[in-house]
Amino acid sequence: MSDSINTNARRVRVSRIALYAILLLAVLFYLLPLIVMLLTSVKSMADIRAGNLISWPQEFLLDAWVKAWSSACTGVSCEGVGSFFWNSFQITLPAVLISTFLGALNGYVLTKWKFRGSDIFFGLMLFGCFIPFQVVILPMAQTLGWLGLANTTTGLVFVHIVYGMAFTTLFFRNFYVSVPTELVSAAKIDGAGFFTIFWRIILPLSTPIFVVCIIWQFTQVWNDFLFGVVFSGGDTQPITVALNNLVNSSTGVKEYNVDMAAAMIAALPTLVVYVLAGKYFVRGLTAGAVKG
Amino acid sequence: MKTNVTSDVAAALSTEGVLADSSAQGSRSVNPLDLIQRWLPKLVLAPTVIMTLLFIYGYVIWTGVLSLTKSRFLPNYNFVGFAQYEKLLDNDRWSVASLNILIFGGLFILICLLIGVVMAILLDQKIRAEGSIRTVFLYPMALSFIVTGTAWKWILNPGLGLEKLVHDFGYESFQFDWLVDPDMAIYTLVIAAVWQSSGFVMALFLAGLRGVDSSIVKAAQLDGASMPMIYRRIILPHLRPVFFSAFIILSHIAIKSFDLVMALTGGGPGYATDLPATFMYVTTFSRGQIGLGSASAMMMLGVVLAILIPYLYSELRGKNNV
Amino acid sequence: MATLEISSVKKNYGKVEVLKGIDLSINDGEFLILVGPSGCGKSTLMNSIAGLEDVSSGDIHIGGTNVTGLAPKDRDIAMVFQSYALYPSMTVRGNISFALEIRKVPKGEREAEVERVADLLQISHLLDRKPSELSGGQRQRVAMGRALARHPKIYLFDEPLSNLDAKLRVEMRTEIKKLHQRLKTTIVYVTHDQIEAMTLADRIAVMKDGEVQQFGTPQQIYDDPANMFVAGFMGSPAMNFLTCTLECIDDCYGLSVTTSDEERYFLPLQHGDSSLQEWIGKEVILGIRPEQITHVIPHKQEESSVARFTAKVAVAEPTGPDTLVLINLNGQEVDCRVHPMEEKPAGSDMEFMVDMSKAVLFDPKTEKRLL
Repeated sequence: MSDSINTNARRVRVSRIALYAILLLAVLFYLLPLIVMLLTSVKSMADIRAGNLISWPQEFLLDAWVKAWSSACTGVSCEGVGSFFWNSFQITLPAVLISTFLGALNGYVLTKWKFRGSDIFFGLMLFGCFIPFQVVILPMAQTLGWLGLANTTTGLVFVHIVYGMAFTTLFFRNFYVSVPTELVSAAKIDGAGFFTIFWRIILPLSTPIFVVCIIWQFTQVWNDFLFGVVFSGGDTQPITVALNNLVNSSTGVKEYNVDMAAAMIAALPTLVVYVLAGKYFVRGLTAGAVKG
Repeated sequence: MKTNVTSDVAAALSTEGVLADSSAQGSRSVNPLDLIQRWLPKLVLAPTVIMTLLFIYGYVIWTGVLSLTKSRFLPNYNFVGFAQYEKLLDNDRWSVASLNILIFGGLFILICLLIGVVMAILLDQKIRAEGSIRTVFLYPMALSFIVTGTAWKWILNPGLGLEKLVHDFGYESFQFDWLVDPDMAIYTLVIAAVWQSSGFVMALFLAGLRGVDSSIVKAAQLDGASMPMIYRRIILPHLRPVFFSAFIILSHIAIKSFDLVMALTGGGPGYATDLPATFMYVTTFSRGQIGLGSASAMMMLGVVLAILIPYLYSELRGKNNV
Repeated sequence: MATLEISSVKKNYGKVEVLKGIDLSINDGEFLILVGPSGCGKSTLMNSIAGLEDVSSGDIHIGGTNVTGLAPKDRDIAMVFQSYALYPSMTVRGNISFALEIRKVPKGEREAEVERVADLLQISHLLDRKPSELSGGQRQRVAMGRALARHPKIYLFDEPLSNLDAKLRVEMRTEIKKLHQRLKTTIVYVTHDQIEAMTLADRIAVMKDGEVQQFGTPQQIYDDPANMFVAGFMGSPAMNFLTCTLECIDDCYGLSVTTSDEERYFLPLQHGDSSLQEWIGKEVILGIRPEQITHVIPHKQEESSVARFTAKVAVAEPTGPDTLVLINLNGQEVDCRVHPMEEKPAGSDMEFMVDMSKAVLFDPKTEKRLL
């Protein structure tokens, strides 16, 4: 009897160890690229050639970071990715704020002030979340040209607002659906109008969904490449486009350390957001996914 | 819940009713401010409605129209019927891209689902430091595909990357040059894409697992079912909706995959790793074949719709039944 | 404070008719209760009075003014919601004074009004808390306070007590009654709880399927129900409905019942008249409330309206003040209310007396009152 208990306990212990071993391997698999990027970015090229992906740097150097930021060649110009990093901020901040705010208003109307056809419109809009953007970029490129917004950050901000709104509206609609409609009724009876109810009653409840939505939009816009590469010109490119140009430009000797430093620079803002607000990030991903 | 729905419907219907009422009973004067209040919700939504109709539906139609023309470097409207589509189907590069999306999409979705389920189940075993592990699995999702591509391009570098690492471990004969092998390069895309997205699928499944009523599991345990049995017979069937949404999202990512190819392989070697998205971009913007590019974009839309419409249909039907 | 007049109000959602022509009117200061099962249209009617939903046809007058097309804010009403609908981001003070603030009442007056209402409802100590920091009962009070903070023409209560536990519900019920007696306000109150309806109302409108089944004082509704639905809905335990045959013996109309021991009894009707002629020998439904079938009370048993019979006790359920005894008449279960001291155990014979003065008869097909 006690024998069988012993073997049973042993079996449990063995399977626990196996479990943690598998998880550890998985953790390594997911962490490896980040570790490699970091290690490579602080090595010299000689060090890179002498060692391997995960060999410890002989000397920690920030040269590659400096070069990536200020003097690496991204296509035609050789001024590093620094200015493009700021471009990305210039594009991302207004695009995120405006699309989020519009999404909040839309969600408010679509849940608390429904009218005939509003549900159908929401369905139409939802569909917009799913189309491959390839199917709209050509007409958009022409429109931006007519509006004089081609190759400008303003143009990119506009594009991101237009195609981000379906998602932000979805987020807010799904959140506001769970806000009791009686609150709005009560405020109507108290004499409040459309905007008063929004400002005084609805917005103060919306902090969590604002965080989720802003984080989601921030990562989406920051990480965008397609719109960036199609709609921006030489000096208005976002960082993703600049990084791709830097890595895939075939001139001169490949400097992997600079590539990795530039990649880290491009990744930092979203990584920081993820580390600081990971909980909301995951919530945004799953909410947008499961309900979308 | 039900009363909420009806009152919403009522509110939806009422706006019109009121306007009709007040015009019929014209004797009662309507305060202009009230009139504005009544129209405000529609006014507020109007810009979005216009943008959606114009920039999504209008543009889709526009692209559809362009796909029927001879447009080259600049759009023109000399209609040639479905000639661009015929040309597309005859195009070697498009065939490669189509085949690639099948290989890439199929493997990517399958492996992501597999890793996602397995990791979610493993993480659901009351693991110590579960939070940190989850964080590690998910962080790639915060990165741009361009960053992912750049990183993996370096890791898979035939000379200095993984190959050298294994050599340094002592396996001198190890060879790993998929990145430059036209037959194998497509699988490097799968590796990088799986690395980026599988953690997300894991998070979806984990959320699903946490949503399973624990009393059902307890009841099954009392009935004498073993844990693998419980997972197979009770929990996984419960996760069917999660499978579906994960499938939809993953196929969506696969079809839109553009950045990753651009960063990791640039479509090469040659055009061995072209996908429809990169084909469309190159054809339209680099090669000046707008008509052909539009046709390929419409094909992509068609595939997305073919996957999406049945899904949405079953979703909506399911909701109506509830 | 004002009168309320609802005339031929109809409401459709598409093809579904939710209100099928409602006519109600109450006087200044009256307490009207709309009661009925869920889906009967009472909440829709309430929302129509509030202006939260628009009616398809018909008119609503508050204090003599036609408010039919007006926005809620222009109707001069206040409402207490089932979920209380307290603004989560505002303090209790903010909640109570919000409507005054919107209406641009000067700050000094607002504060005075908040103090007055808080005093009235004994929530002064809660004024600086957020709704999330309050108990259910406290929230309920704040919701009432919010409505009381103005002096609207009409107060609307939408099932305000249904989210409270049983004990608190009874307490608040009394409190609302006291408040109404003190303030003499016109109140419309929706509930599905017939006890609330009986205890609070000056007038009750019993609703079903978008129609008012009966409109009257609580006692009228209880003693003189218009149809089987009203009779069955009001009162707990519910009125007994007993299918039996109408007979006429020596010019005296009555009903015969058979106990489980095959013993036949004749129950004479008090107010039987010739209008019942055509029903003789036919099946009718006798409606009789449990408290009218009791143990034999010596000083009452000689009254002309009283009949006596003996039946076997099937089940006895003590409730404390009295015991509900289930017996079998005409093969149907009948509830009787007896004094605990007189209660007999299940299976034994017991003698009952039935007071037929308040018995009612229904047409089994139309379910309308015959007598």
